[in-house]
Amino acid sequence: MRDFVQNFPLFSIILCLVSSSASSLLKGKAAKWVNTVLICVVGAMSLTLTFYCLAHGSFTYTMGHVPAPWGNEVRGGVLEGAMGTFFCLIMLLSMTGGRKKLLEEVEDTKQNLYYILVNLMLCSLIALVYTNDLFTAYVFVEINTISACGLIMIRQNGRTIEAAVRYMIMSLLGSGLFLVGICLLYDITGHLLMSNIKESVQALVESGQYGEPLLIAIAFMMMGLAIKSALFPFHAWLPDAYGYSTISSAAILSSLVSKGYIFLLIKIIYRVIGFEVVRESLLLNVTFVFAGLGIIFGSISAMREDDIRRMVSFSSVAQIGYIYLGISLGTQVGMVAAVFQILSHAATKSMLFISAIGLTDASNTSRKFKDLTGSAYRNKIAGMGFAAGALSMVGIPLFSGFISKLLFMQAAVANYGKMLPTMIVLAISTILNAIYFMKTVVRIYSPERDLYKGREGFKVIHTREQIEYTCTVILFIALNVALGLCSEPILELIGKGLEMFA
Amino acid sequence: MSAYWIYFAIFFPIFAGVLLILAPVKKRNTMLVIAEAITIITAIVAWMLIINPPATGVVLFKFVDKYTISFKIDGMSRVFGALISSLWPLATLYATEYMEHEASDKTLKEKTFFGMYVITFGVTMAIAFADNLLAMYCFYEMLTLVTIPLILFTLSDAAIAATRKYIVYSLGGAAFAFISLIFLMAYGDTIQFTLGGVIHGEIPDGRENVLRLVYVFAFFGFGVKAALWPVNSWLPQAGVAPTPVTALLHAVAVVKSGAFAIIRLIYYCFGTEFLRGTWAQYLTMGVAIFTVVYGCSMAVKERHIKRRLAYSTISNLSYILLGATMMTPLGMTGALTHMVFHGVMKIGSFFCAGAVIAKAHKNYVYELEGMAKRMPKVFVIFTVCALSLMGVPGLCGFFSKWQLAKAGVESGMTMGYIGVGAILISALLTAIYMMQMVLRAYFPVEETEGEKCDPSWRMLVPLTLFALACILLGVFNAPVVAFLEKIAGGLI
Amino acid sequence: MDTMFTLYQFNDRLALSYKIDRISIIFLTAAVILFACAGVYSCYYMKGKEHMKRYWIFFVGVLCIISLMACSANFFTFYVNYELMTLVSSPLVMHEQTKEARLAGFKYLIYSFFGAYFVLFGFYVLNKYCVDLTFTEGGRLDMTLVSGHEGIVLLAVFFMVIGFGVKAGMWPLHSWLTTAHPIAVSPASAVLSGVIVKAGVIGVIRAIFYLVGADFVKGTWVQYTWLILILLTILMGSTLAYFEKELKKRLAYSTISQVAYILFGLAMFNTTAYEGALMQFLAHAFAKCALFMIAGVFIILTGSKNVESLRGIGKKYPVLLWMFTICSLSMVGIPPTGGFLAKWYLIVGSLDTGRPNFDWAGPVFLLISALLTAGYLFTIVMRGFFPGEDYVDDGREKVKLPLTVYIPIGVLMLLCVLVGIIPNLFMGGGM
Repeated sequence: MRDFVQNFPLFSIILCLVSSSASSLLKGKAAKWVNTVLICVVGAMSLTLTFYCLAHGSFTYTMGHVPAPWGNEVRGGVLEGAMGTFFCLIMLLSMTGGRKKLLEEVEDTKQNLYYILVNLMLCSLIALVYTNDLFTAYVFVEINTISACGLIMIRQNGRTIEAAVRYMIMSLLGSGLFLVGICLLYDITGHLLMSNIKESVQALVESGQYGEPLLIAIAFMMMGLAIKSALFPFHAWLPDAYGYSTISSAAILSSLVSKGYIFLLIKIIYRVIGFEVVRESLLLNVTFVFAGLGIIFGSISAMREDDIRRMVSFSSVAQIGYIYLGISLGTQVGMVAAVFQILSHAATKSMLFISAIGLTDASNTSRKFKDLTGSAYRNKIAGMGFAAGALSMVGIPLFSGFISKLLFMQAAVANYGKMLPTMIVLAISTILNAIYFMKTVVRIYSPERDLYKGREGFKVIHTREQIEYTCTVILFIALNVALGLCSEPILELIGKGLEMFA
Repeated sequence: MSAYWIYFAIFFPIFAGVLLILAPVKKRNTMLVIAEAITIITAIVAWMLIINPPATGVVLFKFVDKYTISFKIDGMSRVFGALISSLWPLATLYATEYMEHEASDKTLKEKTFFGMYVITFGVTMAIAFADNLLAMYCFYEMLTLVTIPLILFTLSDAAIAATRKYIVYSLGGAAFAFISLIFLMAYGDTIQFTLGGVIHGEIPDGRENVLRLVYVFAFFGFGVKAALWPVNSWLPQAGVAPTPVTALLHAVAVVKSGAFAIIRLIYYCFGTEFLRGTWAQYLTMGVAIFTVVYGCSMAVKERHIKRRLAYSTISNLSYILLGATMMTPLGMTGALTHMVFHGVMKIGSFFCAGAVIAKAHKNYVYELEGMAKRMPKVFVIFTVCALSLMGVPGLCGFFSKWQLAKAGVESGMTMGYIGVGAILISALLTAIYMMQMVLRAYFPVEETEGEKCDPSWRMLVPLTLFALACILLGVFNAPVVAFLEKIAGGLI
Repeated sequence: MDTMFTLYQFNDRLALSYKIDRISIIFLTAAVILFACAGVYSCYYMKGKEHMKRYWIFFVGVLCIISLMACSANFFTFYVNYELMTLVSSPLVMHEQTKEARLAGFKYLIYSFFGAYFVLFGFYVLNKYCVDLTFTEGGRLDMTLVSGHEGIVLLAVFFMVIGFGVKAGMWPLHSWLTTAHPIAVSPASAVLSGVIVKAGVIGVIRAIFYLVGADFVKGTWVQYTWLILILLTILMGSTLAYFEKELKKRLAYSTISQVAYILFGLAMFNTTAYEGALMQFLAHAFAKCALFMIAGVFIILTGSKNVESLRGIGKKYPVLLWMFTICSLSMVGIPPTGGFLAKWYLIVGSLDTGRPNFDWAGPVFLLISALLTAGYLFTIVMRGFFPGEDYVDDGREKVKLPLTVYIPIGVLMLLCVLVGIIPNLFMGGGM
C-alpha cells in the first residue's frame, strides 16, 4: 500500500489539466485566482514530496496498477520534487510580477485564455519532471511547445506572431528529431519505460550490438532537446520570442521552458541511457564545444544590442551554454553545477525581465538604452532588481551567480582535459557580462538631468502604485541572495537527488 | 584585545556609510562632521587592533563546503591596516574642503560621495584583515563595486567612460584571479593564508605547469588593480574623478589592495618554494620590470598633472611587484617598505595637485608658471614629496629603493640586477617629470598674476602631515624596516 | 685627524659620519678660497640684480654642503651631500629666470641625476661586497665575498666612474656643462667650474682609492676604457674650445679638457701621476675661477659675449688682461705656474707606469692639448694687447673698476702661481 504522498505527482498533473479546462469557462479574474491557487497547491505538493523522499528515498508509481513494461510510470525523488517546487515558485513570481502588464496588453476577453495556457504549461513542466516513460515525455513536450507558442502569441502584434511562428518551426524541428530518436531507441530496445530501456541499453553496450544506431538515437534525442532549449547554434528563435512577448511569458519562457527540456535531457542521460554510456560516446565533447561557443557568442551578441530586453534574451543564450558546459564535463560535480545553474538562472533571468519591464514603463515604454538613462531613479524597485540581477550574472560574491561560477570552476578542475578551455571561457564570459550588464547598470543609475524634459511618458512610478510588483521583485532578490549565501543545503539536496536519480 | 573588534572595524564604517547615504541629513556641515567622525572612530579601533592584535581570528560564516569568510590580524594585516587607517581620516578631512570645488547640480550628491568614501574604508579594511583567499576575493570584488559611484561622481562623459572601463577591467581581472582560487582549493592544503604557501602535497606530473600558469593568470588578474602593464589603462583615465578619490583610492587604497593581494598570492598562497626559479617567476618579474619603466616614460610625456601622477603610480606599484616577484624575504621586505612609503609620498603629491586644481583651477603642467608664489606652503610640501619620490637620500623614498635594491643585489639573479637598473632609470625619469613641475613653479620665466590662494587648514593639515611623514619615515626608517623584516621572516 | 664623528645612524649600513683627511683638506681649501673670492666678486657683479636674497642663501648653502661633502667619512654621507649639492646649486644656474636659464638649470639637474643614479647602482652593488662603507686608504672590499663575482663588482665600479664623470664633464656626458656654465651668472660659473665640477673628481677618488681599492681596478678593462674616454675628452675639449666664439663657452670647454687631466692622473694608478692630478686639481681651480671672473667683467664692460669684442681691451684695462695672461700661463703649463708642475708630474707619472700604449699616448695628448690651449687663450691675450691696424674703438668709456673685482682675481692668480712654486704648502704630506 503506498503512502498518500506518493500520489502527489499524478494529482499535480491531473489538477493542472482540470484547471485549464475549467478556466475556459471562467472570466479573467476568476481564472487568475484559479491559476494562482493551482500553482501554490502544486508547489506545496512538490515540496512535501521532496521531504518525503529525503526520508524514504525515491519511489516509482505505476499508473492504474498495470505493471511495467506495459504500463505507464511516474517517478518521484528528491531532485524531481525540488525541481517541481522551484518551478512553481518561479512561475508564481513571474505571474505576479507581470500581472499589471498582462492586464494592459491582453484583451479582456482573452485573459482567461492566457491562464489556460499557463496552466497547461505548468502541467507539461510537472509531467516532464516526474515522468518515467519516454513516450509520455514526448507527448508533454508537444503540449509544452503548443502552450509556449500560445504564450508568445497572446500579445497580438506582428512581431509576436512572427516570433511565435519561428518558435513553432524550430521547436517542431526539435520535437521531430526527438521523436525520431525515441523511435530508433524503441526499435533497438523494445521498451518505452525509462528504467527498462536502460537495462536494455546496458545489455546492448555489453554485447556490442547496434553500436551505431544507439549512438545515432542518442544524438538525435540530444540534438532535438538542444534545439528546443536554445543551445548554440539553434538559438535564433530566442531573442525574438523572449524579446517581444508579454513580460510574464518572457519570464516563464526563459526561466522554465528551456529548463524543463534540459531537465528532461539530464533525466534521459541518467535514467535512459546511463551516464557511463553517454560519457564514452564522446557526444559530450560536441556539446562542450557548442556550449563554449554559445557562451561567447551569446555575450557578444548581447553587447551589440540596443534594446534592453533583447540584450537580456541573448544573455540567456550564454547562460544556457553554462548549463550545457556543466553537463558536458561528464562528472557528477559537473552535473551538480549544471543543476544549480538551472536554479540560479531561473531565479535571475525572470528577475531581470520583470525589472526590465519596470524600467521601460518609467521611460515611455521605450526599450532603447538611450531612453533608459536614470530610469532606476524613476522606478526604484525595478532598478534595484535589475542591479541585483546584473551583479548575479557577473558573479559577484553574495549572489547566486557566484556560487554557480564557483561550482563550474571546481568541476572543471577535476576534469583535466577540458579544464583550461572551461576556465578561460568562464573568465572571458565574466568579462563580457561585466561589459554589457554593468554598462546598463551605470546607465540606469546615472541621473538624467533634464535629458527627457518635456517628453511625455517619463514619469516616476511610486511604490504604492505597484505593490504586487514591488513584493515580487523583493522576493526575487531575496531568493537570489538566499541561493548565494545559503547554498550549502541546496547543494546537498541536489547531490542526494542526483544519486537517487538513476 | 577581543577579536570581535575586527567586525567593528570592518562593518561599522560600511553600515554607518549606508546610513549616512539614506538618512535625511540636511546641513552640509553636519554631514561632513559625521563622515569624519566615522573614519576617525574606525581608525582608532583599527590602530588598537594593530598595536594589540588578538591571538585568534573570527569566522563570519561558512560559505560553501568547508570554505569560510574569516578574518585575522597577522603581520601583513597590520601593515596594510596601519597604512589605510592613518591616511583615511586625513583624506576625508581634505575632501571636506576639496569637494566644495567639485560638487554641483550636475554631479552626484555630496552625501552619496562621503557615504561611499566611508564604506570603501570598511571594505578595504576587510581586504587587509581577510584570513583566506576566498574572503579577500569577495571583498576585492566589493571594492570594485563601492568605488564605482566615486569615479562616476562628476557624471561628465569622461567620467562615465572611465567608470565603464574601470568596471570591465576590474571585474575581468578578478575573474582571472578567481581561477587561482579554485585551483588552490583543489590542490592546496587549505585556502587560509600561510607564509610559505599551501601547496605541499603531491602534484601529478604536468599539472605543476598548469598551476604556474594559473599563478600567472592570478598575477595579471590582481594586477589589474595594481596597474600592471598591459592592464593599466584604466588608471590614468580614472584621473577624471575628484582628487580625494584619485589620491586615496588610486594611490593608496585600491591600487595597494592589488599589490597587497599579489603579495598574499605569492608568499601566503602559492609559496616561494613552488615558484622561485620557474618560468612563472621570470615572466611576472619581467612584466613588473617593464611596467616600472613604462609608467615613468608615459609620465614624462603627459601634460595633465593628475594623469602624470597616475602614470607615476603605475610605475611605483611595479616597484612593489618587483620586490614581491623576487620571492625572497628581502624582496618581500622591500615590497612592503615601498608599499608604505610610496603611499605617503604619492598621496601628498596628489593632494598638492588637488589643492592647485581646487584653488587656482590649473590642471596642466604648463599652467604652473610661478605658482609657488601664490601657494607657497603647498609647493614646499610638493617639493618634499617630489624629492622623496626621486630618491633623494634622507627622505623615505631613498630608503624604500635601498631595500628593493638590496633585495635585487642579494638575489644574485641577473634579472635582479636588471630590476635594480629599471628602478634607477625610473628614478631618473621621475626626476625629470617631477622637477619640471617644481622648477616651473619656483622659477617662472615671466611674472605671474594672481593673489595668494593657499588652502585652509582642512587641506593644509593633512598635507603637512604627509610631508612630515616623508621626512620622518626617512629619518626613522630603521624601526619600520625592522618590523617589516620580521613579517617577511614569518615571526609575526 | 683620525677621529670620526657620526651625526646620525639611519640603518645598519647607512650613517652620516664626518672625518678630516688629506683629500678633505685639499678639497676644503679649494672650496673655501674659491667661494670667498667669488663671494667678494659677487658684490660687484650682482649689483642691481633681483632675487638677491635667494642668491645668497643658495650660494652659502652650496658652500656648506660642499664642505660637508669634503669631510665625509663614508660613501653614504658623500652621496647625500653630492645629491644635495646638485639640488642646491641649480637655483644659481637658473638665477636670471630666462627661458634659457631655466632650461639650462633643468638640463644640469637631469644630467647630474643621471650620473647620480649610475653612482647609486654602483653603490647598491658595493654595499653588498664591501665590509662597510667607510673610506679607508686601500679600500674596504670583502675579498671573500668578491671572489667569483669580480665581473659585477667591476661593472659597479665602472658605473661609478661614469656617474661621477658626468659631473666632471667626461665625454660623452659633458654637454650640460657647456650649457650651464655660460648661462649661469659669472660668480656661479666660477664656482661651478672651479669647485662643483671637482666634486665629481673627488667622488671618483673616494670610490676608487678609498672604497674599492686601487689594486682591484688597476689593470682591468675598467681602467682601459676609462683612459680611452679621458683621452678623448682631453682632445675634444681643447679642440672645441679652440673653435668656440663665445667667451664663457670657450672657458667651459676648457674646463672639460682640464678636468680630464685630473682624471688622467688618477687613471694611471701611479703615485707620481696621482700627485700631479691633485696639483692640477688646485691649479685649475684657482686659474679657472679667476678666468671666469675676468670673463664676467669683460662681458659687462663690452656688452658682448663674444671673443671678437675683446680686441684691444688691453688698452683700456691692462691690469685685467695681465691677470688673464698669467692664469692662461698656468692653464697652458708654462713654468713657474702650478699648471706646469702639475703637467710635469702627470707626464712623468704616465711614462713611469710602463703600461703599453698608454704610457706614451697620455703625454702626447697632453702636449697637443697644451698647444691648443695656448691657441685659444693666448690669441685672446694677443688680440687684447695688439689689436691690429683695423681696430676701431667701440667708443665706450673706460670704467674704473672697484677693488671687489681686482682683489679676488688677484688672490686667485697668485695662488695658482704659488701652487707651482711651493706645492708642499697645499698638498699636505703627500709630496
